[in-house]
Amino acid sequence: MEAYRQEIIIGAVIIYMVFCVCTGLWAMRRTKNSSDFFIAGRGLGPVVVSLALFSSTLSGFGFVGGPGLVYSIGVSSFWMIVISSTGYALGFFLVAKRIRMIADVRNCISLPDVLAARYNSEAVRFLIAIAIVLGVMGYLATQILAMAVVMQAILSGTAMFADIGLVACVVISSTVLIFYCVTGGIIASVYTDVVQGAIMMIAGVLILLTAMSVFDGGMQEATSIILADDGEAMMPFGAAGIMASLGWFFVFGLGLAGQPHLVTKMMMNKKISDNRSILPMSLLGYVMAALLWVSIGVIMRAAVIDGVIEPLALPDDAASLFLSIFTNPLLAGIVFAGLFAAIMSTSDAFLNIGTAAIIHDIPKAIQGHAIQNELFWARVVTVILAIVAASFALYSHFQDATLVAILGAFGWATFAASIFPVLAIGLNWKGATALGAVAAIVSALLINFIVQLAGIVLPYGILGGLIAFIVSLVLFIGVSLVTKKPELDADMEAVLNI
Amino acid sequence: MRSNLIYVIFATVLLMAGILVAICLADTVPNAAGVAHEQFNGMQAGGDGAARLEHIGGLAFAFQALLLVLIVCLAALGIAEERRSPELWAYMGGTLLFSLFVWWQMYSGHQAFLETGVTRYFMGFPVATAWQVYGTWLGAIPLIVLYSVGFRKFVFTVEDERKYEQLLEKIAEKSEQ
Repeated sequence: MEAYRQEIIIGAVIIYMVFCVCTGLWAMRRTKNSSDFFIAGRGLGPVVVSLALFSSTLSGFGFVGGPGLVYSIGVSSFWMIVISSTGYALGFFLVAKRIRMIADVRNCISLPDVLAARYNSEAVRFLIAIAIVLGVMGYLATQILAMAVVMQAILSGTAMFADIGLVACVVISSTVLIFYCVTGGIIASVYTDVVQGAIMMIAGVLILLTAMSVFDGGMQEATSIILADDGEAMMPFGAAGIMASLGWFFVFGLGLAGQPHLVTKMMMNKKISDNRSILPMSLLGYVMAALLWVSIGVIMRAAVIDGVIEPLALPDDAASLFLSIFTNPLLAGIVFAGLFAAIMSTSDAFLNIGTAAIIHDIPKAIQGHAIQNELFWARVVTVILAIVAASFALYSHFQDATLVAILGAFGWATFAASIFPVLAIGLNWKGATALGAVAAIVSALLINFIVQLAGIVLPYGILGGLIAFIVSLVLFIGVSLVTKKPELDADMEAVLNI
Repeated sequence: MRSNLIYVIFATVLLMAGILVAICLADTVPNAAGVAHEQFNGMQAGGDGAARLEHIGGLAFAFQALLLVLIVCLAALGIAEERRSPELWAYMGGTLLFSLFVWWQMYSGHQAFLETGVTRYFMGFPVATAWQVYGTWLGAIPLIVLYSVGFRKFVFTVEDERKYEQLLEKIAEKSEQ
């Protein structure tokens, strides 16, 4: 079996991609209007929503960057995942019920739709839509690039595709992504997410079992090797220190309820009462998949320190080298398919919300009404958005990384800082005002942009995103308290009372 | 009675902002956010843990304690005002105490390691790190249990569902007219 390692891995990835294409074709028949395209007609069951929710949370960053971060900074990066239980809990307490109700009452198909209804403000709609578009471009470009780099690494190991270029890999991977997103919209996206989520859960558990067998003394031997080399790396705050760790706890924990690609999925379930089972199921799936992040990172750092393997050229090589050195080919095939699943499940969610912002929210904020034939334009814009993001990815790789880096600043932390106060607190506090919301969004975008562009380094590893988040929270509540309490429409008042 | 919860949340966030400012103004120590590993390219080392916490340890501890207070207050904000009963607050208080206990065990375990250089292990990790890995994750499980098990009592009661359906019917009637 070892002799066919590369063929088995390619076979697993091809089977997965064919599945995505078939799902797109199947979902196309169920996509009849823009509501189906963007929020699956609000008719999904709890298992589908749970798997779609957690698989969109854990992107390619989790499968590639996560183990790389543990290799690089030790336990510090664990803070991004141990917070998942708090993050999901807050997301459901603060957002899940009311976002679903407002979506129903006002027939909303996007997050800016919901916020425009809540604040009765087109300015809030416009600003959130702009933040989403900027964030989506950065996220999508990095995800497409990651997908292409992994594909090139797999294919170049075979005689037939030894010289395959990155451009060809971008084209192949983006084509599959575009195909199922364009044909089946969010329905294809969530049903591929179900399989993607299942693959990620299986991969996480199998990798943990494999990792525990690398050293005779299991995980404890690996952690004691790291501890002996540098005590701080294996202690709770890791190499990056206490403030970086607590910053990640804050931004990843509270911030989950501000991620547009995740909260949009909370609008898609058939019944509000399903939320009680969606929450624990999503968390369980996430925890199983995240085992890969912790176990590969710890084992690879210990293996290098102990001289079992050579030092890595790049921390992000941790996952792929672990798979090629320590796993059998079948497991490597499953995990590589899981890696594509993780990247695609996040990318399709971003394509969907980005398209909604462009063809639905921005025109509505400017002209006061939606464009004609939304479903047709949704499909056109999905293609254009993916092509532009892929072009950004290639330009960044070959010419200049600055553009994607700037857009990448509009990642998790910016969504968290700009959207969490406005959405999570705003849906639960009738005193929140449109002016407070505008102040919070603008300050979050500006602080993140300035910190990124000016390359500001804060003492003790404090994150720029943490500063932006706290300033945004202070401004949102403070400005709302000093501005005139809004008069809510009767239906909105009723929703906020329930 | 009008709820003061948003003021508690606002005060907590302001205190956290004040602590962040204090940390930014505190004396700095070299490599407080890590330093390149001497031997292995791409790896960072933490170095002298005691020195890194010397000026900001207490502030960082307070920052995290306030964050745990904020989390519980935000979860309570997600429950309709009339259902924030003494029973709910007792449960939330218990959740907060449990989270603070986990945080204290983690922080003091780290301090003990810095003083002695030795540690016990629990399920594969040094004890202080095990509190982080398992304890932090478990710290929010009471909130998950409250949401799932107490869904019909606190989050979305049968009465809520009835009101919501009436609202939808009213909107449907209005749009038909």
